[in-house]
Amino acid sequence: MGLKDCHNFSDFRKLAKRKLPSPIFHYIDGAADDEVTYQRNTEAFNEVDLVPNVLRGVENVDLSTTIFGKKLDLPFYCSPTALQRLFHYQGERAVGKAAQKFNTMFGVSSLATVSVEEISSMIDTPKLFQFYYHKDKGLNNAIVERVKAAKFDVMALTVDTITGGNRERDLRTGFTSPPKLTLSSLISFAIKPMWGINYVTRGKFELPHLQDHVKEGTSTATSVGNYFSTMLDQSMNWKDAENLCSKWGGHFALKGVMSVEDAKRAVDIGCTGIMVSNHGGRQLDGARSPFDQLAEIVDAVGDKVDVICEGGIQRGTHMLKALSMGAKACAGGRLYLYALAAAGQKGVERALNQYRVELERDMKLMGCTKISDLSRKNLRFRK
Amino acid sequence: MSLKDCYNFDDFRKLAKRNLPAPIFHYIDGGSDDEATLRRNTEAFSKCDLVPSILTSVGEPDMTTEVFGEKIKMPLFLSPTAMQRLYHYDGDKASARAAEKLGTFYSMSTMATTSIEEISNVSGGPKMFQLYIHKDKGLTDNLIDRCKRSGFKAMCLTVDTVVAGNRERDHRWGFTTPPKLTLKSLLSFATHPMWSINYLTHEKFQLANVSHFTKKGSSIAKGVMEYINEQYDPKMNWQDAEYCIKRWGGPFAIKGVMSVEDAKRAVEIGASAIMLSNHGGRQLDGSRSPFDQLPAIAEAVGGKLEIILDGGVRRGTHVLKALSLGATACSFGKGYLFALGAGGQKGVEALLQRMHDEIRRDMILLGCKTIKDLKKTNIAYR
Repeated sequence: MGLKDCHNFSDFRKLAKRKLPSPIFHYIDGAADDEVTYQRNTEAFNEVDLVPNVLRGVENVDLSTTIFGKKLDLPFYCSPTALQRLFHYQGERAVGKAAQKFNTMFGVSSLATVSVEEISSMIDTPKLFQFYYHKDKGLNNAIVERVKAAKFDVMALTVDTITGGNRERDLRTGFTSPPKLTLSSLISFAIKPMWGINYVTRGKFELPHLQDHVKEGTSTATSVGNYFSTMLDQSMNWKDAENLCSKWGGHFALKGVMSVEDAKRAVDIGCTGIMVSNHGGRQLDGARSPFDQLAEIVDAVGDKVDVICEGGIQRGTHMLKALSMGAKACAGGRLYLYALAAAGQKGVERALNQYRVELERDMKLMGCTKISDLSRKNLRFRK
Repeated sequence: MSLKDCYNFDDFRKLAKRNLPAPIFHYIDGGSDDEATLRRNTEAFSKCDLVPSILTSVGEPDMTTEVFGEKIKMPLFLSPTAMQRLYHYDGDKASARAAEKLGTFYSMSTMATTSIEEISNVSGGPKMFQLYIHKDKGLTDNLIDRCKRSGFKAMCLTVDTVVAGNRERDHRWGFTTPPKLTLKSLLSFATHPMWSINYLTHEKFQLANVSHFTKKGSSIAKGVMEYINEQYDPKMNWQDAEYCIKRWGGPFAIKGVMSVEDAKRAVEIGASAIMLSNHGGRQLDGSRSPFDQLPAIAEAVGGKLEIILDGGVRRGTHVLKALSLGATACSFGKGYLFALGAGGQKGVEALLQRMHDEIRRDMILLGCKTIKDLKKTNIAYR
């Protein structure tokens, strides 16, 4: 199986599984508790049907959309995800360059393995920085200043990781950052030698935004769940979010808003966008899926802030449904992470292109030529 | 396993799978993307139940239905499907003869492998022609005029294929027309020698209706999907449809209408029918199933034009449910294509006979004497 055999999300997943040591694959692939929410995130799209319109003359389709004041060529972007150099030695460099090629937004995590300065010098397309609110206020301030200096376009504060989710696959495989060899994971690393060679020879593993402040994650191995539980500030509240928003002074989003009440409050504190998200099913299992919750949120705040639907998206038609419901754009992590693990930058480019091609085809089949043509009139819920 | 072991859709499908090289079987069997719509098309029928009336002195039910100005002997007919000679060397001739024998419509695809004129010579039964609007307008006019001369009764215009669906099984199997041997498919052709011998020893494969206009799909190996994307006109609009209706001048259906708005528009431009269809789940995955959408469509345009339900029909009871909710008739593609692959004309006849018998038996069990007796009151949603 090679990259050219990858035609969809599950093909990329299969290839990633072949390439990665199992603790790393399962870190991407897994979710919290029984992974009920993780499954629901995708299944939710199947409860509503698309109703196309015909004979509309659909030769040219424009997929561009504007969020956070930036025009993107695609109505979806790469969500920020941690530790990308563990998945492929090119890490954030690959994803950033691929995002630039398609002129869509690149989300960079606080737990990124390439620095904001390097990314900023590498690509000039829209960039979002994902912020974890640490106990160490000095660390928080330093990060805001660096991201400002690096001229990022959007700051997104993650609000659904106040403590680590119960990711049982990581407990079983012993996944930590940096990877630690346990007896059970040893075999898995040994039978994927290319991963090991690349990991050791392609530059030291780093968390450039954090390592000057904390040892955990770089010189001290920790699980991601444990990192959230011990390093992030559990007393974080609306006041802190508001302060961060004004300190940043640009486009600001809360990532992980699920209730209508919180969405309204996000507007009040000055946010320009929200990501409706349950962290890909990796935090609170049993939480509602973003797509199930989307209509309520859009009805409440859709005319005031950019509502982004994040989670469970695996197909162009999933995006069409979310956009028809009123989301301004879609985003996803696994959407491109399997492709990154499968083949680095080439893989991510192939994946993004496939979604683009799917969306363009699906728009034509729906009888729509621009994103604003999509509306709830295109959808029918099953009884 | 042989034809006499085939009692239902699944049996015919199984036998077709044995007879056909894998790329060809999967071309029939597959849908687009995750095949969610393909599955839902049939599952939708299970979301409501039939409620019979008893002691209605039903006797021998009359299954006669009028559609496209023709009386047919049962409320089910053959949807147009492309390239039938890939499934059996008799191709469209087998289907047309079988439909004539059972007294129902046969439909011919623009992408048929037998010509309009030839089919007209072998079958005197009622025939519909399915039109794709090509970028070359001369080709469209030519097809309409030839159908008139050849005594076709009805025409339908397919509107849900402005771009080819993402049929991933075809990517994996390298399905092209005419078949191209890849390393992976070679093994499959080699292990189905009868298919290969028949394919090679019968007349040359060609898209008989369009071959004098384009070499695509006939003389060079070309994916069907590529054909669609290159030859069909994505600018196609309501004016084009109206033009075709006028030029044809007889019973005319728009195939692939799904929204209420479009159904009303079809009435306005003078279509006599719509085929409620998502192309058998082969185009836009995630789109609504025809049966789920039927009540809304029947409410909006029932009585103003004929509503044909096309998609997911596997059983006589499916047909009865659709008719109860306001469909004039049903049509199906996969069902008879598997039968064609399983046993040529005999296979299609056997399947149509089974469906005929099922509809008849189920009408008796429902207590309905005529098609008109099928009403909403026969249906309960869960």
